[in-house]
Amino acid sequence: MVERIEDLNLPNAVIARLIKEAIPDGSNVSKEARAAIAKAASVFAIFVTSSSTALAHKQNHRTITAKDILQTLNELDFESFVPSLTQDLEVYRKMVKDKKESKANNKKDVSTGDAVASSTSAAAATENGDAE
Amino acid sequence: MVDAGNLQQPLQRKPSAETFLPLSRVRTIMKSSMDTGLITNEVLFLMTKCTELFVQHLAREAYTATGSGETLKYEHLSQLVNKSKNLEFLLQIVPEKIRVHEFQEMLRLNRANGSDDDDDDDESDSESESDADAE
Repeated sequence: MVERIEDLNLPNAVIARLIKEAIPDGSNVSKEARAAIAKAASVFAIFVTSSSTALAHKQNHRTITAKDILQTLNELDFESFVPSLTQDLEVYRKMVKDKKESKANNKKDVSTGDAVASSTSAAAATENGDAE
Repeated sequence: MVDAGNLQQPLQRKPSAETFLPLSRVRTIMKSSMDTGLITNEVLFLMTKCTELFVQHLAREAYTATGSGETLKYEHLSQLVNKSKNLEFLLQIVPEKIRVHEFQEMLRLNRANGSDDDDDDDESDSESESDADAE
């Protein structure tokens, strides 16, 4: 669990970068404003999490899903976030799928290339022996 | 065509599976909320993206309150929070600042109103009285 309250802070450098991206080039942000945005972001994450959890529980689900979060955002008047997030989610799901597939392929390669693998490990063993 | 869309909606950006904020930190924040169950990787990713969007949304909206070229200050944020319905949950996090002498004035007024509040029994009575006075 959370041991120190600072564990809930988001890294300042990342927040500064995100803010800089959002406002026109060359504009400045006061230190105080940046700190307030960082704090607000943590509170926002807690707020959305607890609202989504409540929504999931209402449907007798123990775990929140991506759908719960998107629906919560609609209810909390942040529907403008939903289209971008839906796109991000698609990209993310595709990436996870690709990773899984390439992992499966790698496994196949290992099982067919057994002979090669054993010969290289033998070579490695002799090398190790030399080193010692 | 794409450029025109971008001009209208500066929020439009390339969808991506990369996050800037650290996932582990966002997980800690999510867990700090009571009875959060299991957090899947997908939900963690979505919440991180969502928080990033929120940071940029807040910065952009507050910036429109500044004259262009001006520095984004705390006051711009607290004003935005004060007038936006969907930012109500931040009212106590980003409160409007008041001057010390304004606060002292408030305290003085409070004391003047509540001067006969010594008896706890009458509290609700005196409260409604002072409400009536205020109106």
